[in-house]
Amino acid sequence: MYYFDLAVTGISFGCMYAMMSVGLTLVYGLLRILHVAHAAVFALGAYVTVLVANATGSIALGFLAAVIVTPLFGMAIYRLLYEPLLKYRPDVPMIASVGLLVLMQDAFRIVFGEQGITFQRNAFAFKTFNFAGVTVSALQIAMVVTALVVFTGLHLFTTRTRIGIGWRATVSKPQIAASFGIDPIKVRYLNFAVGSVLAAIAGGLVAEMNNLVDPGIGFVVSYKALAIIVLGGLGSVRGTLIASLVLGLVEAYGTIFIGSWLDRDAIAFLALIVLLMIRPQGFTGARAA
Amino acid sequence: MSAALKLDDVAIRFGGVQAVGGVSFSIKEGDFVGLIGPNGAGKTTLIKIIAGLLRPDKGSVQLSGVDVTADGTAARVRRGLALTHQIVRPFREMTVLDNVALGAGYRRTSSPFRALMHLDRRLEYERAAEIIAQVGLAGTEKKLAGSLPLGQMKRLEVARALAVEPCVILLDEPLAGLNHAEASKQVEAIAAVHAKGITVVLVEHNLEEVMRICRRLIVLNNGLVIGDGEPREVMADPDVHEAYVGGGMASHAEA
Amino acid sequence: MSAYEISIISIIGINVILAVSLNMISGFCGQISLGHGAFFGAGAYAAALTMVGSGSVPLAIMAALLTGSLLGLAVGFASLRVRTDFLAVTTIGVNFLFVGFVRKQAWLGGEMGISGIPATGFGPVGNMTMILLFAAATIALSLYISRSWMGFAFRAVGEDEGAAATLGINSGAYKLAAFGIGTALAGLAGCLYTFFTQFITVDAFDFIFSVMLMAMVVIGGIGSTWGVVVAAVGLTLLPEAIRFVNDYRLLVFGGLLVLVIRLAPGGLTGMVQRAFLAVRRS
Repeated sequence: MYYFDLAVTGISFGCMYAMMSVGLTLVYGLLRILHVAHAAVFALGAYVTVLVANATGSIALGFLAAVIVTPLFGMAIYRLLYEPLLKYRPDVPMIASVGLLVLMQDAFRIVFGEQGITFQRNAFAFKTFNFAGVTVSALQIAMVVTALVVFTGLHLFTTRTRIGIGWRATVSKPQIAASFGIDPIKVRYLNFAVGSVLAAIAGGLVAEMNNLVDPGIGFVVSYKALAIIVLGGLGSVRGTLIASLVLGLVEAYGTIFIGSWLDRDAIAFLALIVLLMIRPQGFTGARAA
Repeated sequence: MSAALKLDDVAIRFGGVQAVGGVSFSIKEGDFVGLIGPNGAGKTTLIKIIAGLLRPDKGSVQLSGVDVTADGTAARVRRGLALTHQIVRPFREMTVLDNVALGAGYRRTSSPFRALMHLDRRLEYERAAEIIAQVGLAGTEKKLAGSLPLGQMKRLEVARALAVEPCVILLDEPLAGLNHAEASKQVEAIAAVHAKGITVVLVEHNLEEVMRICRRLIVLNNGLVIGDGEPREVMADPDVHEAYVGGGMASHAEA
Repeated sequence: MSAYEISIISIIGINVILAVSLNMISGFCGQISLGHGAFFGAGAYAAALTMVGSGSVPLAIMAALLTGSLLGLAVGFASLRVRTDFLAVTTIGVNFLFVGFVRKQAWLGGEMGISGIPATGFGPVGNMTMILLFAAATIALSLYISRSWMGFAFRAVGEDEGAAATLGINSGAYKLAAFGIGTALAGLAGCLYTFFTQFITVDAFDFIFSVMLMAMVVIGGIGSTWGVVVAAVGLTLLPEAIRFVNDYRLLVFGGLLVLVIRLAPGGLTGMVQRAFLAVRRS
C-alpha cells in the first residue's frame, strides 16, 4: 500500500502547488511579470493564519483573516511596485520582485523570530483515516477538498459572472475586452486579489501541515511555483493545474528513485530544465509570447 | 552571371493552411523589383522565408548562387542580404551613428572572438557618417535613435541596411505610416540605394509609388505568383486585377 | 594589517570579480542570470577537489575556470532556446539544482562540505594580494570588452536580437561568449574563495547569494563596470561598518534593490550621470 500512500501525498501536494501557482500564472498572463514576491504573499497568509488562530482559538477565523489581509497586500504590490515599472523590459519588475521577497522574508524573521510560530491547537490536522489500507490524514483531505472547491468556484466565476468573463477575456484578448467596456486596470487588481487569496489558503494549509510557520516557509515552495508555471506553459491555468499535480506525484515517487542523489526540492527544476531543452514553449505548447 | 536572389519552389504550411505554395522567381543583379499582393497573399510569410526567420517546408533560397536555405538571418546578412523591418527596430539606446557603425563593422562582429580582438571604430564611424548623409540624416548622428521621429527612423533602417554592404536589399513597407513629405524623402533614399548598383526588392502597399519606381513587379495571391513582369503589363492582367478587386484592395490593414 | 582587515579585503576582491563577471552576462549582453552563485560554487568545489588531490595552485585555478565556463556554456545553450524571463527562471533552477545535487553527494562532502583544504602556502597577505590582482585583471578585462567590438555587439544583442541579426550579428554566439567568459570568472572567484577559507559548504553558493550579486549589479548601474565595482565594495563593507545592516542584511539588500529599481533604474551610475549633466547645465 506504500505506493498508494505516496499517491495520496503527491496529490495533496499537487493541490497545494496548484493554489500557489495559479496566482503566478495569472499575473504572468496579464502583465508578463514573473511575480516572485507571490511567495511573500503565501508566507503572509501563513503567518496571519497562525497568529489569528492562536489568538482566537479558531483555525477557521485564522483562514478568514488571511483571506482578507493578503489580497490587500497583493494589490499593494501591484500598485506600488509593478505598475510604475511596466514600461521597462520584464526583467526589471522581476528583479524588483525578487528584492521584495528577500526583504519580506527578513522582515518576517525580524518581527516574528527565527524559530517561527507553532499552532497551539492543531490536533485535527494529524488525525488519520484508513481506507482499505491507505492512510490519509485529515489535512490531506482538507487540501484536496479545498482545492476542488476553490477551483470549481474559480471556474464558475470566470464562466458565469460578467466580471469573471471580462477577466478571462482581458487575459486572452486585452484589446477586444477593452472595447466591451471592461476596465483593464480593475481586472489587474482583481487578478492580484484572487491570486493572493489562493496563495494565502495554500500558505495556511502548509502551515498546518508543518505545524510551524517560519520565515523560510514560502521560499522553496514559491520557486517551485515558478518552475510549475513555466512547465504549464506560462499564462495557462489548465496547464498550471496539470503541471502542479504531475510535479506533486513525481516528487512523491521521485524521492524513492532519485532521492539518494538529488534533493527532493530540486526535482522541480530538473524537470523544468529538461523540459525547456525539449520544448522551449512549455508543456502544453500554449503560446507564451 | 547568377541571380542576386533566387527562390525555387518555396512552400510552407501552417497547420492546414498553405501559406506559400510553391513560389519560384529569380531576380537579376541590379534590378528593382516590387513584391505586391492583396492582404493575406502570403507576402509577410515569404519575406520571413527570404530573411531566414522561417524555414520553408520545401524549396530553396539562393543568394548570388549560394544556397542559404539552412542559414539564419545573421548568416544571410553576411552573404549579402540586407533587410529593413516594417515596424522600425533601431537600437533605441544607441546614437544614430552607433546604429549605423555597428552595421558597418559587420566584418569585425562576424564572430565574438574576432570582435574581442578589435577596438578601433574610426573607419566604421567614417563610413557610417557617409551613409547617414546619403539617406538625408546628416546632423542627427549624435542623437539617440529612439528619439527620432518615425520618418527619420525609417531612413535610419535603410542606412543600417546599407551599412552591411549588401548585394540585395529587402525593404519591408518602407513607406508605411509616412506622410507625403517623409515618403518622398524615403523614395529618394531608396533610389540612391539602387543607384549604387544594389538589387532592391520592395514590398509595399503604396501601389502608386511601386508602379512609379519599380522595373519589375511580382504579384502574389493565395501563396502563389499570379503575375510577373513589366509593371504596367502586369497590372493590366485580368487575373491580377481580379485578385486585387476580389481581395479588397481598399483595406490595407494587413501586417 | 590585522587579520580582520585582510579577510575583509579578500572578500571584497572576490565579490568584485563575481559582480563584474555577472555584469558581463546581465549588463553587457542583457541575459538576466539569477544563478551566478552556482558557477561560483562549481569553481569552488573544483578547486577544493584539485587542492585536496594535488595541492597545486595553478591546477586548481585552471580546474575552476574550466568547470565554471563549462557549466556556464551549458546554461548558455539554454539561453539560446528561451526568452529572457524564462532564462531567469532557468538560472534560478540551475542554482537550486546545484545546491540540491551537491547536498546529496558524498564525494563532495554532502551537507558537511569539504574541510581541511591544503593552504596555498602564500599566507593570508599573499592570498589577499593574489585575489586583488585577479580582481584588477577582471576589471581591466571588463573595461576592455565594453570598449571592443564585442561589447558593441553585446549591447545590440541585449537590446534586440532580431535587429542585431539584420546587422549580421549572430546573437547565439555572443550569448554563449558572454556566459562562457562570465561564468569562467565566477569559477575563478570560487577558486579564490576556496584558497581563502580552506573550507566550503554548499550553503555559501545558494540562490540568496545570487540575488545579492544581482543587487550589486543593479545598484551599481547595470552595464557599468565602475558602478558595479563601487556597489560591490560598498555592499560588502556596509554590513561590516554598520551593525544594524549586519543583523538585517537581507532586509537592507532587498530594500535597496527594490528602491533602486523603483526610484533610480540606472543605479548609482545613472544618478552620477544625471548629477553631472545637471552641474554642466547650470
